[in-house]
Amino acid sequence: MGLLGVYFRRTVTILRSEVLVLPSRIAVLVFIVALMALPLFTQDYYFLRVLILTSIFAIFAASWDLLSGFTGQMNFGHALFFGVAAYVTALLNLKLGLPPYFSIPLGAVGGVLTGLVVGIPCLRLKGSYLALTTLAFPIILTGLVFAIPDVTGGELGLAGLSRLTGSRVMDYYLTSGLMVILGFAMWKITDSKTGIILHAIREDELAVRTSGVNTTRYKLLAFCMSGFFAGVAGGLYAHFMRLAGPSGLEVGLSFQVIIWAVFGGMVTIYGPIAGVFILYPLMEVLRVALDSFPGLPEMRMFIFAALVLLTLLFMPEGLIPWVRDKVEIECPRCKVRNAFNRKRCRVCDAVLD
Amino acid sequence: MQFLGRVGAVLLGLSLILAMCLPAGAADPITIGVLGPMSFTQGEGHWNGATMAADEINQAGGVKVGNVMRPIKLIKIDTNEFLSIPDATNAVEMAVSRYKVDFLIGGFRTEAVQVMQDIAMDAKKIFIGCGAAHPALCTRVTKDYDRYKYWFRLTPINSSYLGKVDFILLGTVGAIMKAQLGLDKIKVAVVAEKAAWADPIVRAAQKVLPGKMGMEVVGVWRPSPVAKDCTAELAAIQRSGAHIAFTTFSSSVGLTFAKQLGELKVPAAPVGINVEAQKTGFWSATGGKGEYTVTINTFARVKITDKTIPFYDKYLKTFKEAPNYTAGTYDAVYILRDSIEKAGTIDSAKLVPFVEKTDMIGTSGRVVFDKSHDVKWGPGFVTGLGTQWQGDQNLCIWPYKWHGITYEGTVPYKLPPWVVEHWKKK
Repeated sequence: MGLLGVYFRRTVTILRSEVLVLPSRIAVLVFIVALMALPLFTQDYYFLRVLILTSIFAIFAASWDLLSGFTGQMNFGHALFFGVAAYVTALLNLKLGLPPYFSIPLGAVGGVLTGLVVGIPCLRLKGSYLALTTLAFPIILTGLVFAIPDVTGGELGLAGLSRLTGSRVMDYYLTSGLMVILGFAMWKITDSKTGIILHAIREDELAVRTSGVNTTRYKLLAFCMSGFFAGVAGGLYAHFMRLAGPSGLEVGLSFQVIIWAVFGGMVTIYGPIAGVFILYPLMEVLRVALDSFPGLPEMRMFIFAALVLLTLLFMPEGLIPWVRDKVEIECPRCKVRNAFNRKRCRVCDAVLD
Repeated sequence: MQFLGRVGAVLLGLSLILAMCLPAGAADPITIGVLGPMSFTQGEGHWNGATMAADEINQAGGVKVGNVMRPIKLIKIDTNEFLSIPDATNAVEMAVSRYKVDFLIGGFRTEAVQVMQDIAMDAKKIFIGCGAAHPALCTRVTKDYDRYKYWFRLTPINSSYLGKVDFILLGTVGAIMKAQLGLDKIKVAVVAEKAAWADPIVRAAQKVLPGKMGMEVVGVWRPSPVAKDCTAELAAIQRSGAHIAFTTFSSSVGLTFAKQLGELKVPAAPVGINVEAQKTGFWSATGGKGEYTVTINTFARVKITDKTIPFYDKYLKTFKEAPNYTAGTYDAVYILRDSIEKAGTIDSAKLVPFVEKTDMIGTSGRVVFDKSHDVKWGPGFVTGLGTQWQGDQNLCIWPYKWHGITYEGTVPYKLPPWVVEHWKKK
């Protein structure tokens, strides 16, 4: 009882000193609480389905940000990690009968190995050359998928995987819970010493190398970590949809993830997650909203694209950094962020402008 | 009090009149979700075919469920399946859980239809497929009947049968060339767009043509599905001495190839699959140069059954476009109506045995389902068609005396005159 009390007091202290002091962190807390409480209010299959897919794609988008946003390794073929993990997961489930809690982590290992395979030839490439090379990999693999239909199912893909869990609500808690945990893990990685090195590689790789850091190793590490998180998303997707098919490797999916991340705000981890949580359900909101107007439902993609373009026109850094800059100010002395209504910095007591 | 009594009497009278004036329309409608990529011609076909059937049935009073006449209400579900599989599955989930549809019809992209199938089976709703041709969709019924019994495929005939029709058309044209031009051995150029779905056809052609059909494959050409210029391929085909260009096209390359073959008067008769040539706009899009192109088809203005020509004419008049195979949703709605009326219920589980027993004269032939719930193909059932552009008309040229079948309105195949001229000289 005493130990529980200690933990409770510690949690309250952290909440008061670290979370409740900043509007962005309060928003994240409210978001997580709302996400976890949602099934208490509705268990609508359609609604939960959309949110399950949103959580899966949020992990996927954040994993892109880890590699391309933080490390600056511009990946235009991120669907490769997702697709490979989906296929590995499906094969392990269908051929060896492994349940999801084994097949998904092993599928993610497939994503890590793919990260290595892609990372090694890409080490010497930068900028648009790197982007175009990464774009080629999922296209090559799609060719391979069609070349060995006995293994991959060809055009049909591999269908009939076992269900993620026994119920839609459990699927929801598993995917949204994993999204929160993995999102937090990615954010912690970027906040760690490794994250600082990855960030530095993006800014000036030569300077990092002259500091004695083996950038090759860190870049490979970024590819592997990103592959792992994207792989978890791919495995979850395969089990939830009960299908791993060529659509998981499509160029469209690779570009979709970039749209989500750029819209939400790159180099933040939470930006891409927020981007997916806004844009993916928005498509469904548009579907429902436009349904009553003849001729308009077919304009859904156009309206979606126009909304994204307009947002980025006025918020070039992405939506979330723009909002954060409105509700928080940075201390000119210690660079710590403070709520917009504070007169003095919460850490160094400097006067805020 | 007297005034209130009068008002009450008037209201009661009005209510009675209103009740008598509301016949079938007042009953709960039977809702059918029409699934398809609605921004594309395939989805338009799904929707147009279904609306025609629903309008006809509703005008005739609706569907008799027990003693009640109930109207049909269609719900348009844009699956966007060409661009996003998750989008397609969300749409189907919405149809099932939000709109509470009683039945589903449509679907196009095989990979997406598999997941749609699972959602429909979870909800235990009858789903009549009108678009995806892969046999695996029906194999699921035989493998796990209890789960997948709600699935039926109506159109098109499955891809194995499509392949058969493809080679029958090739053999027919080859035989005509042999007879008319006195050729000993037919040489075939295999031209297929560079797409995965075309690979098995190319492989089959390389195996079947020299083996079973006694033809020679002079080469294989794989232009891009969106090629805007096929002159290099056509020049090579001409040099190869091919008598026939055996085509496999589903994309815009079909237009380019047909137009340039006509312009350059390449002496190889085009036969095979050319989805662009199934469309009404093919003639104007090729400026008439696509004349003599032969393609597999589902609908043409021939008397496959008594229903075909009235359906074709009405569709063309209403939508200014000839029906494509996804418009088979028309028959799907009628199959549902007939089964519901026989069963006296809209409960899918109770309805399945009645749909299984379907033996209906539809617009594309006699519809009977086999054990895997796939539409039966062959003489006396649905056969598919071969059509050829002759002048500005896409006319049926096959079946022509095939197992004794020639649909009324079918015309003989015509060889392109420049092909005849070229090979007669030799």
